[in-house]
Order: sequence, then C-alpha cells, then structure tokens
Amino acid sequence: MSQPTLPKNDAGEDGRKAPVNRRTDAAAPRKQRTLPALNLQALGIYIAAVVIFLIFGMLNPNFLTSGNLRDIAVSASVNAIIGLGITFVIITGGIDLAVGSIASFVGIVSATLMVNAGTSPFLALLAGIGLGLVCGAINGLLITKLKLPPFIATLGTMSIYQGFAYVVTNGRPVYNVPKDFVFMLNSYVGGIPVAVILVAVLAILCWLLLRRTVFGQNVIATGGSEETAWLSGVRVDRVKIAVYALSGVLAGVGGLVIVARINAAQTDAGSPYLLTAIASAVIGGANLMGGEGRIAGTLVGALILGALTNGLVLLNVPSFYEQIVTGLVVVIAVALDQGSKGWPLFKKKSPPKKEATATA
Amino acid sequence: MVAPLLELQNIAKSFPGVRALNDVSFTLERGEICTLAGENGAGKSTLLAILGGSLVPDHGAVIIDGTQRQHFSPRQALADGVRIAHQEPAIVPQLSVEQNLVLGRTSRERRDAGTHIDQALADVAQMGFPLNAKASVRGLSPAQRHALTIARALAFGAKIVALDEPTTSMLEHNVEGVLNRVREIAHTRGVGIIYVSHKMPEVMSVSDKVVVLRDGTVNYTKPIVETSEQDIVRNMVGRELLSFKRQHPVPPDAPVLFSASDVSHPTGGGPLSLDVRAGEVLGIAGLVGSGRTEFLRAIIRADKGSTGTVSIDGKKRKIRSPRDSRNAGIAFIPEERKHQGLVLQVPAYFNVALTADRQFNGFGPIISLRKQIAAAEEAAARMSLRPANVRLNARQFSGGNQQKIVIAKWTWRNTKVFLFDEPTKGVDVGGKVEIYELIDALAKAGSAVIVVSSDLPEIISLSDRVKVMRQGQFVSEHTGDDINEHSLVANAMGIAERTTT
Repeated sequence: MSQPTLPKNDAGEDGRKAPVNRRTDAAAPRKQRTLPALNLQALGIYIAAVVIFLIFGMLNPNFLTSGNLRDIAVSASVNAIIGLGITFVIITGGIDLAVGSIASFVGIVSATLMVNAGTSPFLALLAGIGLGLVCGAINGLLITKLKLPPFIATLGTMSIYQGFAYVVTNGRPVYNVPKDFVFMLNSYVGGIPVAVILVAVLAILCWLLLRRTVFGQNVIATGGSEETAWLSGVRVDRVKIAVYALSGVLAGVGGLVIVARINAAQTDAGSPYLLTAIASAVIGGANLMGGEGRIAGTLVGALILGALTNGLVLLNVPSFYEQIVTGLVVVIAVALDQGSKGWPLFKKKSPPKKEATATA
Repeated sequence: MVAPLLELQNIAKSFPGVRALNDVSFTLERGEICTLAGENGAGKSTLLAILGGSLVPDHGAVIIDGTQRQHFSPRQALADGVRIAHQEPAIVPQLSVEQNLVLGRTSRERRDAGTHIDQALADVAQMGFPLNAKASVRGLSPAQRHALTIARALAFGAKIVALDEPTTSMLEHNVEGVLNRVREIAHTRGVGIIYVSHKMPEVMSVSDKVVVLRDGTVNYTKPIVETSEQDIVRNMVGRELLSFKRQHPVPPDAPVLFSASDVSHPTGGGPLSLDVRAGEVLGIAGLVGSGRTEFLRAIIRADKGSTGTVSIDGKKRKIRSPRDSRNAGIAFIPEERKHQGLVLQVPAYFNVALTADRQFNGFGPIISLRKQIAAAEEAAARMSLRPANVRLNARQFSGGNQQKIVIAKWTWRNTKVFLFDEPTKGVDVGGKVEIYELIDALAKAGSAVIVVSSDLPEIISLSDRVKVMRQGQFVSEHTGDDINEHSLVANAMGIAERTTT
C-alpha cells in the first residue's frame, strides 16, 4: 500500500510511544467498534417501516400481497429519485425547493420534443436530463456566486421554472407520449417495474458517490463545517454547485418517470413531489443543519410515505387524512431522531457554555 | 460600617480542560474606578461574564450592596444595576441613537425614560461626541458608537459598570474627554466602575485602584497612587511556566524555508513580511485583536481581499485560496478547533483525509477507506492519539486529542510549513506538553513553524524567535534571553520605551 511521504517519521522518537501504543491501537478498535447511538438511530427508521407495514398488513389482508407491494414501490419511486438529490443538498446544509418545478419543466419539455418535434425517446430523455442539470446548476450558481441563501434562491427558481413549464405549452398538457418512451420507464423486467430498478441503480450510484468518493466526503464535510472544509482546501463553491446540479438531474429523471407513468406530461405534475421528497429525506435521517443524511434512509422514507398513502386508501380512509398522517410521520420521525441525541427537555440544565470567554 | 458596593468572594470558574478563575476576591466602592489588569487568558473576560450574569461561578459569592446574588442571569445583573460595556459595541445599527439607549427596556421603563435619555445624551456630548437622538447609528463612527455604548451603560441608574477596552477605537484627544466624563460620573453619581484596558497611561490616569489577575487569581491589589506602570506589568507576567524545553532548537546554519512578504488582510493590518528558517519555530505574540490571526489567514488566503506573496524554498508560490496553500505545502491549524479544524460528527480518519485529493483512491474514483484508516492510524500511533481508535467521531476526543487529529490532517501530506493559531487553546496541561512535543518534532524534521499564541509561557518555551504584533504591525523581534515575558508584554502593550531602561 502506497503511503505518501511523511515529513517527520521521528515524531515519536523519545521512546514514549511506539511499542506500547501500537499494542493498544490494535486492541482498541475491537473494543470500541460498536457505536450504539449511531446504529440505533439508523436502525430506528427501518424498525418503524417494518412496524408500519405489519400494522397495515394486519388491518387489511390485501396490503402485504406482492402486487400491492409492487404498487407501493412504484408509487414511491418518484419521491425516492427526487429525494436522493435532495439528500445531497440537505447534507451540505442547503435546501432545494425547485425540484418539483424542475420535474414539471423537464417532463413537459421532453414530451413536447417527442410529440411535437418528433425527437427520439432516447434523445428526449437525454435532453431532459441535460435540462435538469442546467436548472440545478443555475441554483448552485445563485447560491455560491450571488451568495443567495439556498431557501431564497430555490424559492425564486421554483417559480421561474414552473413558469417556463407553463410557457412551453401555454399551460396545456402534452398527451400521446410515444410508446417507446413509456416502455423505457414504465414497464417490467422479469416482473420488476423498471422504475424500481431505476431507483435501485440510482441509489447504489448515489451511495457510492456519497460514501466512497472524495466528492461525497467533501459534501459531508461542507455540510458538517463549511469553514473546516474551506480551510482544508475543499472547493466548497464547486461542491455546492455540483450538489444542486445533481439534485436538478434527479428531479428531471423523476419528472420523466412521472410522464411515463401517466402517459402524458402535465405542466405542474412535479409540484406535489416537492414536500414529499423533502419529507422522505428528512424521515430518513437527513439533518437540515447539514452534515448528516443517509441514502438508504431516504429510500425507506419514501417507502414509508408510499405505504401510508396506499394503506390508508385500502382502509377507505378519506384522502384528506393522508396529509395529516404524512405530516405527523415527519414530525415524529425527526423528533425521535433528535430524541436519540437527547431532548433538551430531559437534559440536566447546565449553565451556557462559553469557551471563548474563558480565554479571550 | 456600610457594606461595599460590590464584593467578590473566592470566585472560581472552570471550563472543560481549563481553570479560568481560581480564587478571585476584591471589593469595589461607590464612586471608585478599579482597573482590572491581566494578560490575555488571565480570566478578566470570565470574571466580567460572571458579573454580567451570563456565566455562573462554580464557587464563591457576588455580593452587591450587602446582598448576595442568588441567581445568575443577564436579567438579574440588569436588575442589580450591573452593566457591562463590551469591547465590541453591542448596538443595533438599524436603530436610532435614542432607540439604542432604551434597547432591552420594558415598555413601562421606556415611558419614564425621558430624563435618562437626556442624561445619556448629555454624557455623550460631554465626552466630546454630541449626538442627535433621532440619528441612525449606522452613520456613526466606531468612536461615536463606543461613546454611545459607554453612556448607555452608565445610564438608567447603573450602580456597577464594567468598561471593557472602551477606548480602542478612539483617538488620543477623544480618550481624554471620555475618561474625564467617566470619572466625573463615577464620583458624582456614586457609580462603581471596573475598567479593563491594556493602555497603561489611561489606566494610570483614570483609576483609583488596580487589581491584577494572573492565572485566575488576584495577584496584586494597590491604590493607583502607590504603584507604577512597571509594577503593574511585572505583576501581570511571571505566570507559572510549564516544564517544557525545546529539545531541538533551530540549527544556526538552517536556510530560510518560508517567506511571506507584504501580506495584508482586508480588515487592515500589514503589509507584513517575515522569513522562517527550516527547523525554526517563530512565535508571534501580541494582544487579542492585534491582527495575528488575520495575518495567518491572509497567508493562506482564507479571506477574499488578502494580498501578499509567499515563497517556499526560495520559489515563489501562487496562492489564491486555502487549496493552493495546501498544495504548496502550508498547513493552517486554526484557533477554533471545533468549527474550523474539524468536522465533529464524522470519524477521525475522515477528518484526516479532508486534505486529500486522490491520494486515498482505490479503484478509479472510488476511495479506499482502508487506506484512509491506515494513514490516520499511522498518524495516531505517532502522536499517541487517545483513544487510539480513528473510527470514533472527532466529537468523542478531548481537546488535546482533537488537536492531534487536526495536525494529522497535514502531516500525512508533504507539508513543510505549519501555521498554528493558539495551538493549545482549551487543552489541559498534559495535552499541552504533548502538543509542544509535536511542534518540536515538526521543527526537528525541518519544517518551518509559526505559532501565534496569547499564552506567553507557551510562546517563550516553544520559540526560537518571537515577533510581537501591535495594531496590525510587527513592533519588535526577540531572540535568546530577550524572549521573556516582561519584554514581550511591554512591547505588546506599547510601553517598551519606558520599561527597557
């Protein structure tokens, strides 16, 4: 294994360390390998998902059938795809409110290209992804170069991109999307829906990107402490632009999946997914303060939301209640997440800690 | 006998790893101006924070007008008639002069505020700053803002007022007017004033009494007429020295490794130039706010608008960002370890790898955690990181061990120049010595090291050479026996001419 040159191999030369500490080194990791707080936290969401599925399964025998589970997976796919991008954004400590509009905009543009301009489905797909990239990158540029707060920047572009989506077709939906396109994103391979396969592939890629590349580590570092990242030589502006661009791409992919699923492009098809995609990421453990977020968590978050919608319909609960339940799930999930770190309510009151004043 | 206005009895306060106040007792009478003197870190700020109610002492009593304070909060302090005027004027620029004066007052108090406002405005005017009550604070100069802060602290029936470096932004002729008015108010209204300043002539002219803090205890108390500037400074210095001596002082023939020229920071200060030789530790001493941190940040271009050139091994390096500086082989170990040095919620090895590009990549763009962990473990073993588990999150280590992780970020790279800003802030005594040994080892390996520190014993025991900064400039350079607390403090405070004779 190649080690970079170490400028000072003799740091421990006064004999105080090397032999003794080498031994404790080897022993310590095994002893302290378990990180109970972290594991419990990550595990909690999976347990919650299992519980929710079991409860619906007991209440309605049709819920846990393979056909219904497939429906849930498909209905969760758009939230999952958009949520993956949002997860990256949230980890940097930002937020992307434009994803719903980008999904609508990309969907309507790609559909128009295919239906009105006769572009091939594959090229239309690529064009859609490219448009998502551009839209997202613009968000990133506004945030880094013009120093707009992410909330404001994407609030603005949310409206702008939605407006463009209306302008493209004067607000009219585009019907009769080519069968080839629908086939690409809304068919089955070996009984498994393409959308689900797509989510799985994207999730693996996103996980690799986040956890096993320098870029991903820089994303986490930027969100964890932007100043630390900057002083360590991370180009934080580039990281942020890339993250918003990625969010735009995934929002675009989500928009294309919507088009394939309903066989048509509607001018505001993406907007309902904004809040649910953010909710998926947050339920999955993404922390809006930055530095934390999990790919698998976001997927499970999307599945939980999909299961709730589906289960409540099966139980004949009026659809208005669905929103109440969704909101409650978000609040409870985040409260539990915070709870695992200790609610201030239950903490012993201690005087405010002010280290700066001690030495200043 | 009437109880004194303020009596502090055996005040003690500790922070994790630091004992800020050991045992502080003194009294303040009505109409008395008492100077609180002491080096950086002697405990002045902590004491003021306790008085102002924002910190609760571990031990001891605060007795005001014969009544012991039971409850510590800023509101309680306000009710006790205690006001703290901080070094940074705590005023809201968007509001008018008048609105700032009544800031934080209840609406009932505001109804009767008229006379207080008039009084405060009259005070400011007599200090030499006639202000319009309706004027926006945004348009005021720093000196005017400071005067307003002082007047506000003295208004509304204040009984005990702490003024922390109240004159830093003022010109000589303004200072006199302010101090005259402060003295007059103290005497006519019976206000007790705690005055914190590093400007010795001011201290001598304004105070009735001086209390010198050192290492968290009162080291010296004297009426001002019975003391002198030299006596005060002598009692500020002489802190307990750690038994640390550099094992490897710079060899006399070592070549210059790092040079910076005409470095300046957008907040002012500079242009500054210096050379550091291979194996040399250069200490930079100075008061807090003298521009030392800004100098280091300007070298690595951490802030936009910094200028200057940097050469390593005689070759000029183009540095426009911390990334360029990193790639040129310069390390910056910042003062605020938790916010600037580490990402707390991720493992130690992750932090160590923060300064990497592709060095730890395995297959293509995919990084190898194994390589990251191995590099971090090697550094951890060399520095005896405790616990020796680099998979633990950075948050889980003590201050001294966190600092080792920050240093490890740079040692695995080919880093030649180390810029330390307060390397042992918040580190306990044992940890300090370990950090010193690491710095000594870096120097021995031929690195150029700059250490900025407010801890004089630290600077003295580490440095081959010391530069003193005052108001953004290097004012003196010391080597050999000239590296002593007395001469460093004298230069940092600008009273060198009078004390070196």
